[in-house]
Amino acid sequence: MRYAEWCIAAPTLEADIAAAAMGLDDIGHSRVLYGSLRELGTPDVPDEPGSYANVAYLDRPWSDWTEFVAANAVLDSGFTLMIEALAGGNVEVLRSRLKKMLQEERYHAMHGRSWLRESRAPTAVEHARRDAIVWIGPEGADVDDLHRKGILSMGVQDFRRRLDEQVGAVPESASIDWKAWDPIRRRINPGGIDELTLNMLQGLAEKRYMPAGA
Amino acid sequence: MGFVRVHADVREYEVFARKTRLEPLRQVGAVVAPDDELAMAYARATYDEERWVEMMIVPKAAIIQLWAPGEAEA
Repeated sequence: MRYAEWCIAAPTLEADIAAAAMGLDDIGHSRVLYGSLRELGTPDVPDEPGSYANVAYLDRPWSDWTEFVAANAVLDSGFTLMIEALAGGNVEVLRSRLKKMLQEERYHAMHGRSWLRESRAPTAVEHARRDAIVWIGPEGADVDDLHRKGILSMGVQDFRRRLDEQVGAVPESASIDWKAWDPIRRRINPGGIDELTLNMLQGLAEKRYMPAGA
Repeated sequence: MGFVRVHADVREYEVFARKTRLEPLRQVGAVVAPDDELAMAYARATYDEERWVEMMIVPKAAIIQLWAPGEAEA
């Protein structure tokens, strides 16, 4: 959704198109992931504002292209590492279905890396990296547990190391207060996605334009 | 922060693709990017609407033209 907001606002025509294409890819990935979860018996979550488990970085629209770049280079890489760990784990439905996502995400990573070299956005990168680390979660929690069970092929330390390898040198984060970490929404900061975006995600924005009685 | 599409460090790349192994590669378009990685990402994002079995990019500077339209063959 945040990628789509930049499909007419990126610095170049090619970047506009890439923003739209990556947004479409990620919607497709969400559909596959939700479908897989359903198949694995995960109950549906009620469609309420508090149930959206987005990282805090996505709460508000980005006001600067460097924020897009940091999300693309860092957050997207973090999500891709999780897909890679699931595809390398022992759950057959995920092993077989997530391969195409990894092929597509390869191009997202190229886009992010190249723009990161051009943009030099240390503040946005640090913010995105911190939110990615928080999303992966603390050591000894659910991710490490799933790694022990073989469902994920990587544990928290592997995720952090791989993320830093891909993103390159970044300033050291201030320490993270894991006591405030919400294991369901996988974030520390309270709050959530802005109302306008939420309305669009829930289809309410479109309903306003429907003829009466439709 | 300003970014421009064309500056001293960007290059033009021609994009080639084909739908089956039997047909020859054909030029489907071009992209402008500062490096190969971004050019690959742009080519895939821009021209991926069809089911290509193969896609490749070539820096335009690497193409050696023998003659142009309207010029007689030497």
